[in-house]
Amino acid sequence: MIQTFANSSVHSLPLDYALRNLARTPLRTLLALLGSTLVLILLLGTVGFVRGMSASLRGSGGDNIIFLGAGSEESIERSEIPSRAAGVVAASLTGLREVLDQPAVSPEVHAALPIQPAEVEPSDDPPLAVVRGVTPMAFAVHPRVVLLEGRLAESGRDQVIAGRLAAELLGVERLEAGSRLRVGEREVTVTGIFDAPASVMAAEVWMPIADLQVLAQRDSVSCVVAAMPPTAEENPQAAARLLAAAEAFAATRLDLELVAMPERDYYARLEAFFAPIRAMVAAGAVLVGLGGLLGGLSILHAAFSSRIREFATLQVLGFPRRAIVMSMLEESLILHAGSLLAAAAIALVLLDGLSIRFSMGLFGIQIDEIALGAAIAAALLLSMIGIALPAWRCLRAPLPEALREG
Amino acid sequence: MNGTTSTGEDNATPLIECRDLTREFRRGEQVIRPLDGLDLELAAGSFVALMGPSGSGKSTLLNLIAGIDRPTRGTLRIGGRDLGRLSGRDLADWRSRQIGYIFQLYNLVPVLTAYENVELPLLLHGLSRGERHRRVSEALARVGLVDRHRHFPRQLSGGQEQRVAIARAIVTDPAILLADEPTGDLDHDSAAAVMDLLTSLHRELGKTLVVVTHDPAVAERAQRTLHLEKGRLVAAAEITR
Repeated sequence: MIQTFANSSVHSLPLDYALRNLARTPLRTLLALLGSTLVLILLLGTVGFVRGMSASLRGSGGDNIIFLGAGSEESIERSEIPSRAAGVVAASLTGLREVLDQPAVSPEVHAALPIQPAEVEPSDDPPLAVVRGVTPMAFAVHPRVVLLEGRLAESGRDQVIAGRLAAELLGVERLEAGSRLRVGEREVTVTGIFDAPASVMAAEVWMPIADLQVLAQRDSVSCVVAAMPPTAEENPQAAARLLAAAEAFAATRLDLELVAMPERDYYARLEAFFAPIRAMVAAGAVLVGLGGLLGGLSILHAAFSSRIREFATLQVLGFPRRAIVMSMLEESLILHAGSLLAAAAIALVLLDGLSIRFSMGLFGIQIDEIALGAAIAAALLLSMIGIALPAWRCLRAPLPEALREG
Repeated sequence: MNGTTSTGEDNATPLIECRDLTREFRRGEQVIRPLDGLDLELAAGSFVALMGPSGSGKSTLLNLIAGIDRPTRGTLRIGGRDLGRLSGRDLADWRSRQIGYIFQLYNLVPVLTAYENVELPLLLHGLSRGERHRRVSEALARVGLVDRHRHFPRQLSGGQEQRVAIARAIVTDPAILLADEPTGDLDHDSAAAVMDLLTSLHRELGKTLVVVTHDPAVAERAQRTLHLEKGRLVAAAEITR
């Protein structure tokens, strides 16, 4: 049975031609595929890094008002405000969310402390982690936090609860209720494991605020977090009024030396603070990717350029240049679609959720629809860039000259 | 026969008419003129061999007749149509219908089978699969390669490749067959077989056949041999059989 070409539109080359050309020089095709796959993996990794870091910082801020020490608006760890500020805020602001008839106001201490598993020898350079001193009200203002196993820590009994990602930060395989940690000079027991999806809190260790104040030898707190009422989203004007009242409160209570701001704004500033790091990661990826890109393009260029005489023959037969360019584009699109599939599979299996340590926290690389969309756009762009120069070179030569090519 | 008309068969209507046909190339300050004011008429159905030393302009003339190059000066009419007035797209379309071109190195597409190589030009004509199949089968039968239709060019001998190329050239039923050194890359026996085939196509199908060759044995088969030198026809070398 003779196989004829499927009916294609007049003046176009059959898709079979493009497909078979890819198999013509398998090694060359493989190298081009590897080059563009590398570029796309780097792109996915970079976008996933940027998205993961931004999402974890953005996700850490809720519909809360945060009170920080004046002058420490960009670093909660450096902030110090009097412990009594929480009570004064609760008594002074009306309209805050209430839990068990109490305003949801959470005083917190944020400290960067050396932490190690208790069973390992104390090292000279233990990893630093964020330890947050909290009251039970912290769970009301941070509803994202959920206890996965165990129970809450009790004050005065050297107990902590650990975030799901804390184990990775400490370099241990897993933490569970009953694990022992050395926080600073003190050995503590992990009583529970919590999660806080897409937020920096998932890598923190939480302990009762009084215990942390003793451990950190401070009587101040780092911040006070006050929760907006549940209707804040539906009634933004009331939320704005509450925020204005909080700002006015902070401005008038000079004795407390406070500033008030939406918690989201604090994390947005933090996100902006880390922008240079994201830019450096992107620049590094661009440099490495450029190598892969140039390698891939040069292989594609060589593959197409070796066919100048063939393209000239097709023109002699009557095929217009447009048909030949379209066929080249088909080849390039098929090749880059293969690269895209390979890169997406590798990124989803190996990179998605991979924890990256930054400052004293962790965040996960996020291969989401934005990252995949960027990779699809890049693959399309690479397909077109890949044929631009060879098409120009192969088709600009006068036919008699092109027919004499190698 | 410089500056004069070299006529075709006196009693036939000329299919190809060249008037003052000139092709120039510029290399810096230097002007190279492979064709220099050529006047020529070739009758429909004729078999003409173009001979001459390298650089004499025979391939340039063939390329101009094929519509794959354009003259710098003068006119070239084929079937009454002035090729110089056709746009690039119209010229490509005209070429696909009127010209069958046979290359010295066959120029088959290596990733396509013999059948697909022959089918390729038909894709430009909007024919049904059935009609394409009929024509390809007929062309392959004419060159005696029906049993090789599934073979890729690398699986064929040089002579077989050239026969596939000839099938590709005739499959669209063009008025003119142009062959540039069609036996230049073949051994003696294969060359003779290819020339037998071209001669029979000329005789049986009535195609106008123009062959560029260095080989006197090939030229001997032509009805007319035209000798070119420095872009002009050499009158003394024009032989009519």
